[in-house]
Amino acid sequence: MNRSLSRAIVPIALLLPALWLPGCGGKDEAVITVGVAGPMTGDQSKMGQDFRNGVELAVEEWNGRGGVLGKKIRIDVNDDQHDPKQAVAVANKMVNKGVVGVIGHFNSSCSIPASDIYAKAGVPMITPASTNPKLTEKGHPTVFRVCGRDDQQGKVAADFVANVLKSKRVAVLHDKTEYGQGLADEFRKSLGTRAEVTAYEAVIQGDKDFKAVLTKVKRADPDLLYFGGVYPEAGLLVRQARELGITAPLFSGDGTIDTKFIEIAGPAAEGTYLTFSPDPEKVPTAKLFLDAYRRKYGPHGPYSIYAYDAANILLAAIRDAGTTDGRAVSKKIRDSSFRGALGEIAFDPKGDVRTAPYVVWITRGGKFEEIASKPAP
Amino acid sequence: MLVQQIINGLTLGSVYALIALGYTMVYGIIKLINFAHGEIYMIGAYAGIVSMGLLTLLGVPPSLLPVSILVSFLAAGVVSAAYGVTVERLAYRPLRQAPRLSPLISAVGVSIFLQNFVMLSQGAGDLVFPITFPLEGISFLGARITTLQIFILAASVLLMAALTMFINRTRMGTAMRATSQDRVMAGLVGINVDRVIAVTFAIGSLLAAVAGVLVGVYYGLVNFSIGYVAGLKAFTAAVLGGIGSVPGAMLGGVLLGLLEALGAAYISSEYKDAFAFLVLIAVLIFRPQGLMGSADGSGEKV
Amino acid sequence: MRRGGKIPSTWFLWGGWVALLTLPFVGAASAVQIALAVGLGGIALHAARRVPLDSLASGIRQTASSGWSIAGRHAALLLGAGLLAMLTLPLHANNYVIDVATTTLIYVILALGLNLVVGQTGLLHLGYVAFYGIGAYTYALLSTGVHASFWIGLPAAMLAAALFGLVLGFPVLRLRGDYLAIVTLGFGEVTRLVLRNWDEVTNGPNGILGIARPSLGGWVLDTPASFYYLVLVLALLALFAMRRIFQSRIGRAWVAIREDELAARTVGIDVARYKLLAFALGAAVAGLGGSVFAAKMTFVSPESFTFFESVIILCMVVLGGMGSLPGVVLGAAVITILPELLRGVSDYRMLIFGAAMVLLMVFRPQGLIGSRSLAYEFRRPRRR
Repeated sequence: MNRSLSRAIVPIALLLPALWLPGCGGKDEAVITVGVAGPMTGDQSKMGQDFRNGVELAVEEWNGRGGVLGKKIRIDVNDDQHDPKQAVAVANKMVNKGVVGVIGHFNSSCSIPASDIYAKAGVPMITPASTNPKLTEKGHPTVFRVCGRDDQQGKVAADFVANVLKSKRVAVLHDKTEYGQGLADEFRKSLGTRAEVTAYEAVIQGDKDFKAVLTKVKRADPDLLYFGGVYPEAGLLVRQARELGITAPLFSGDGTIDTKFIEIAGPAAEGTYLTFSPDPEKVPTAKLFLDAYRRKYGPHGPYSIYAYDAANILLAAIRDAGTTDGRAVSKKIRDSSFRGALGEIAFDPKGDVRTAPYVVWITRGGKFEEIASKPAP
Repeated sequence: MLVQQIINGLTLGSVYALIALGYTMVYGIIKLINFAHGEIYMIGAYAGIVSMGLLTLLGVPPSLLPVSILVSFLAAGVVSAAYGVTVERLAYRPLRQAPRLSPLISAVGVSIFLQNFVMLSQGAGDLVFPITFPLEGISFLGARITTLQIFILAASVLLMAALTMFINRTRMGTAMRATSQDRVMAGLVGINVDRVIAVTFAIGSLLAAVAGVLVGVYYGLVNFSIGYVAGLKAFTAAVLGGIGSVPGAMLGGVLLGLLEALGAAYISSEYKDAFAFLVLIAVLIFRPQGLMGSADGSGEKV
Repeated sequence: MRRGGKIPSTWFLWGGWVALLTLPFVGAASAVQIALAVGLGGIALHAARRVPLDSLASGIRQTASSGWSIAGRHAALLLGAGLLAMLTLPLHANNYVIDVATTTLIYVILALGLNLVVGQTGLLHLGYVAFYGIGAYTYALLSTGVHASFWIGLPAAMLAAALFGLVLGFPVLRLRGDYLAIVTLGFGEVTRLVLRNWDEVTNGPNGILGIARPSLGGWVLDTPASFYYLVLVLALLALFAMRRIFQSRIGRAWVAIREDELAARTVGIDVARYKLLAFALGAAVAGLGGSVFAAKMTFVSPESFTFFESVIILCMVVLGGMGSLPGVVLGAAVITILPELLRGVSDYRMLIFGAAMVLLMVFRPQGLIGSRSLAYEFRRPRRR
């Protein structure tokens, strides 16, 4: 036993020190590094890669303008595989490398444990996608999110359903994730007694067949389907609902506003309502970004815009603070307001966006369009 | 509602059954839980989508839809079979005399590798099948069944019948049965065991590919991670029916589909997978060899 | 592979074949590159095998094997050095390395527990992560609910996991081999679904937040280094407990059951009791790992307890060399550290990791440290 234990120690002794290598490249004083973290491999890697693309474009623009504080900017992409323990590992890794800030993570379950590491090291962290309210309630002064919270988004949807659509019988579905269920629950709470919730069901993220649930929903005879979840499930859901003869329109959140949703659902996507920020195509600076994005990576996902804004906010704050010191930068982020692709962004003391500018969109003619704030005829 | 749920369950179940057949055939012959089988199914779905995209690019008119579907089935089948045989040759054959769990780990490695290979080469996002079937269906006892569902059911039944014929009526089928009963003995009586195993992988992969294309057409989208859930479900189905038994896999697949549909409808949609597993556990406790596995040990030889 | 290497042209055939396989996915240009790479790589390998490089290779092999035997001969010295290195790790490592080392040690604990069930007793267990999850949630709930300290949470987590181990163990006593595998798999999935869906208790997909760090008489172990020491002590304790128990009567009874259940029963071993004991003890160790994990993350959510996690822990047990405790330690280290090392190649890291797993198994089927005396375990089924 001792003999073979010592044989086990030799390879471990060779393996473990190798971990130092990437960390001790020596700090390059001529560049500053922005960390990006999210699921880059595994079943949610599309979201992570949307992140990276958004940040990459923002950084390219900044570098084209000469960088920040006279230094070029580099990004350091880290894969957390939506696994909390890997999120902590990459958080430590980035902190060691001396990143000036982190754009990430995607899942709240990764952002929450990782935020402790960033907070301790005083590194600003801006998440483009984690909507769990608890993330900002921990009181870390370096934690921000550019996406809205579930409660803000759910309220806009509920108001529209009650006041404009005047739906009476609503079926609420969610994908049993922190995002989807959170959104669906907030929608339901905000809707209150203004409409009757005739069905409340969960589907499973990653499943393809929702007909069993939909058959049950059909029996409840809803005049609106609300879905808290992301586009692949939303697309399948509305398509299968139509196959089963459910005619009620679908209403979903910002996780669904991806062109893939229309591709998946096909004609069934028509007339789907969504909550999202006001049309970025109408913001001139955002238009440039979106065109560049399309040229380089193809159609953008919702989180690539959020990630782009997050990166711009971080870099602008560094420029304005005149230093890369994390606490000074965080203070700057908190105190100023930024004009991003998604409109005016300012943070409240907790690090949430002050006004979550959600508006209602509709899918029409195979495209998403913003519904004018006045009720549609 | 019950009729509708049964239709939903049958469609889902026949797809599970097609994938489960691959698991069960491979298990029957080399006693390996081929964890990479779900990835083979995913590869098939991608091959189907790529070939369909090519056909659309070449300008095959929509009126030739049945032809293009047939072509993509063939393409997917060939590609998947090639992958299945290659995986067996590279990752399992060298381990045939190794400790029993070693090929299992090798299979996990293959699975991780193939998933990431497809993610890197085809992108992480979902691919959407270029053609869509009409959504309307026919009414049947107060339920709706779409043309596509009928097509899936028919295709699965046809394939399973063909497979049964193949196993029972052909020389290769006889050789497969002989090999699964006793590999050494089969080799002694002049059966080329390596070839039989390769053919088994090819057939199993082909069936998985068909399932992949069917699912792709039915749901309209494919991504690199679909193999994981499908593989897990199909493995469950194979064990439920009695792993190693071909009719068992068919029965297990259909039962699992029905269980999921009815469980989601009448018990809880959140716990539908748990429900399926609980039934599986209960079945195995009362019939440890699975529903159709034989108790004399020819089904279970561990 | 070796046979193919004899003729260079076979390598090009392989290259062409791989190119054909990848063609539909990567397009023509890359497929040709892949073909050339495989062909040329194979020929390079082939060339290296015959010409002078051969002696170099054998030189390396000799050095390695003499290093191996030196390692064997000076075991105590190396062990001491290794222990010293582990004890002093936080002094010269940054937080990232300490974090990875801590995670590795948690996996060492988990893999040791699974090895007890799979390696020692021969019961293929695919739902091991359920007990890990139960342990983690037990401490999480105790800590956030009644503010129990870690030193109460830890035994409670072990106890809860052991109880569930028995709950699972009773009905599956009759099951063997792969049927046992799927039932345990099902148990694991059901547990994860309950953690995910029982919102009132487990807080559903949101997970449980604000779990307390352990403290020692007022000193809270909230730095990575202090926590590393805690886990190191627990892992060493687990290792030595395993060693003791494997050398005891119980350990030998388990081996007897693994090798031949019928024979074990004939010589008077109470098979059911020992199997249950293996399940419960293995589960308790997983519960220990779970409570440590919860304390490390201060946050638990169902995402950490998937089937894939069970499979990865199984890989640690098999890869290192099943039944050999050092092998299990090595397996856990390789599987935890390798993906971290591969971060440099970003997107390709899991691709390479998967390929590495296959290669390791193909070239060392008995595991990295295959103990010769146990090489015949899990052999192919004997025909009746």
